Amino acid sequence: MTRVEMTLQVKEISGQNPFLCMQCGLCSAGCTGRGIMDMLPRQVMRLIQFGNAQVLDNRSIWMCTTCLTCTARCPRGIDIARVMEALRTINLRRGDGVLAPEDLAAEFLAEIPQMALTSAFRKLSA
Amino acid sequence: MGIPYFPGCTLHVKAKELDDSTRAALAALGVELAELPEWTCCGTVFPLAQNNYMGMVASARILSNAAKQGDGRLVTVCSFCYHVLKRVNFAIKNNDEARTKLKEYLEEDYDGGLSLLHPLELLRDEVGFDALRNRVGERLKGVKVACYYGCMLSRPAREMDFGAPENPTIMEEFVEALGAEPVDFPGKTKCCGSYQVLNEHELVAGRVKDIFKAASLCGSQVIITSCPLCRFNLDTFGEAENRSKIPVLYFTQLLGIALEIPIDRLGLAGQDGDPKPLLREA
Repeated sequence: MTRVEMTLQVKEISGQNPFLCMQCGLCSAGCTGRGIMDMLPRQVMRLIQFGNAQVLDNRSIWMCTTCLTCTARCPRGIDIARVMEALRTINLRRGDGVLAPEDLAAEFLAEIPQMALTSAFRKLSA
Repeated sequence: MGIPYFPGCTLHVKAKELDDSTRAALAALGVELAELPEWTCCGTVFPLAQNNYMGMVASARILSNAAKQGDGRLVTVCSFCYHVLKRVNFAIKNNDEARTKLKEYLEEDYDGGLSLLHPLELLRDEVGFDALRNRVGERLKGVKVACYYGCMLSRPAREMDFGAPENPTIMEEFVEALGAEPVDFPGKTKCCGSYQVLNEHELVAGRVKDIFKAASLCGSQVIITSCPLCRFNLDTFGEAENRSKIPVLYFTQLLGIALEIPIDRLGLAGQDGDPKPLLREA
């Protein structure tokens, strides 16, 4: 995938224009997952602007909880949660997810609400 | 005939107490709910990729079937169900391509005319907060309540139409109507870590710690929520000391307490965060 192709694909899947981002960092300050992310949402946006495909391999996209705080706060009106979803979608379409049923402990599965299973597998599993 | 009601999969099994307390409390206020005759899982997450209409099919079918009940309304209480159904309904109503594709797929002629209602909206608009205030006694007088909306109820603001995206107030108005005292809780629309409970425990543990800390600093005696996953994460990842000091209840359970409904009908026996101190004070 060329740089241009990667950025175009993110644009098409997310329906968002990543070039609107002015790197203010409001998304990152409010992000639910910021404490454990290797790359903050602002940095993710920057790599997309550069067309840097490394952004597809960063762990942060799998730590997003789609809580939409970034989307609510972005002063440029970018739905950043949709951009994160686009990066996950490109991976998932290639068969690369991060959540495998066999990794989950049976006793934990017995406790967890059904909604968590359905949502996590829809977001994180190919 | 009651108002059409979609419980959702979690409310029939792991969050039965949310279903029980919702039905019991609303019935005590003269609002009957009629569970849809047939329903499936709503899909739990709204698809954020453009044109992913497959991810909307489950919700679209539920909405289309609910419209056939002829009431024009659909009530659902789980935050995930409410979020997804409301957004899919919004897409069907306002996005021509979504409406056409889903119509073709389902072979149903549904145009998004249903009004999706959360029980908090029913309490405000059908029962009325003033009527509720007159109905409840002083059982909860002085009880300090943290209203925890989580991430699903109020965002995105335009589609959810549930108040300001990071500062909705309907739950506080509800708590005031119960005669209790809503605290100024800065964690009210923070995310608990959600489905990451399956993949990133550390993330959820950190979020839950912050939420309890915020609730504790503003003097909360109880946290109320509408979401089975928020409830699970807070109960599971909250430190024992916090959980014993600040129990987590569904808002419908607090309503049930205010209405003096027996606690076994509210699913309050044997829960993780012990609500008894609250009940003693109440």
